[in-house]
Amino acid sequence: MRSQKISSRIKNRLIFLIIIFSCFSSSIYLISYALKDKISYFYSPSEIKELEIDSTQTVRVGGLLKKGSLKIENNIWFFDVVDENDNSVSVVFDKTLPNLVRENKGIIVEGKIMNNILNAKNVLAKHDENYMPQSAIDKMKDKGVWRGE
Amino acid sequence: MLVINPNSLSTILKSLNKLLSILIVLLSISSLTIIYFLENDYYQGISFKIMFIHVPAAWLSLLLFGVMGITSIIGLVFKSPNALIIARSISPVGLIMSITVLITGSIWGYLTWGTFWVWDARLTSMLILAFIYFGHNLLLNSFDHFQKSDFAAAILAIIGLVNLPIVKFSVDWWTTLHQGASVFKIGGPSLSGIYLITLFISFICILLISLFWIFNILVTTKDKRKLERMRLFNE
Repeated sequence: MRSQKISSRIKNRLIFLIIIFSCFSSSIYLISYALKDKISYFYSPSEIKELEIDSTQTVRVGGLLKKGSLKIENNIWFFDVVDENDNSVSVVFDKTLPNLVRENKGIIVEGKIMNNILNAKNVLAKHDENYMPQSAIDKMKDKGVWRGE
Repeated sequence: MLVINPNSLSTILKSLNKLLSILIVLLSISSLTIIYFLENDYYQGISFKIMFIHVPAAWLSLLLFGVMGITSIIGLVFKSPNALIIARSISPVGLIMSITVLITGSIWGYLTWGTFWVWDARLTSMLILAFIYFGHNLLLNSFDHFQKSDFAAAILAIIGLVNLPIVKFSVDWWTTLHQGASVFKIGGPSLSGIYLITLFISFICILLISLFWIFNILVTTKDKRKLERMRLFNE
């Protein structure tokens, strides 16, 4: 009889905790669902094309730095940010770029879009999740399986 | 099977303390040597070596929070004082780990991304995890009697479990400046083999350090409780 009482108490406490936990997690889920676009850090160039963004809004655009598009004139950088659908956004930037900005590597640009040109306030380099030593790449190049630059 | 009597835990630990600390020092020195002689990454250069502190600390801060949440559930549901003591001793170590992640991460971010901090999903959820650890630590010492503080802290730890999948999957659910998962992901790790081995060695090293630390806090807490009980009994 006594053990039954104890087990019913344990059950009650477990149910209590499950209710707290599920209420809390569903509220977090709803919040993050409602703010889906705000939580994402940047748009891809394709998404920028679809959204209607006026020239007063600051946006972040992320993608790869298009190969062969990076050039400098009078201390102003010009380059294109491109995504996997081959949509691109042209960018002008008048400060120093971060160290790791390379062609065909990830980049995030923050600024305002005017006449289809993004006037960048801030540029960040986004590295991917692949890590390997230079010697491994040389080996892959010798075998002809390296797909980078 | 070896059954450990919790009362003999402190005597076992005292005899093992010296051995364990020597082991930890040796392991740290050897893993730091391996990291020092490791070849640089082709893209990030030398700055990627921060990974061998940043990533194990991040795994541990998630792992320890998971263990803390589970022991808190056990402690609350079955009224088990031992489980709550385990949660209590994990908490400060987890706090240090999450602060380590944030500090090493922002140094690494400055070297590679070009900024110390941005409000993207991964960084923000990790900051929230550190805040939950901090709040848990505060709650553990905020009531006159430890049973009340254990109860309050356990509720916080259970609610905080919601944050764990958010930290882990934030890079998949939303676009972030932080890179995607390198090791635990579909299709296997995208780290070169030698880096993966080094990463696991440094993980085991940091895991041993935290376990050593946790056990010491655990034994101290148990001894303190015992003394308190004896004092109350004598009064």
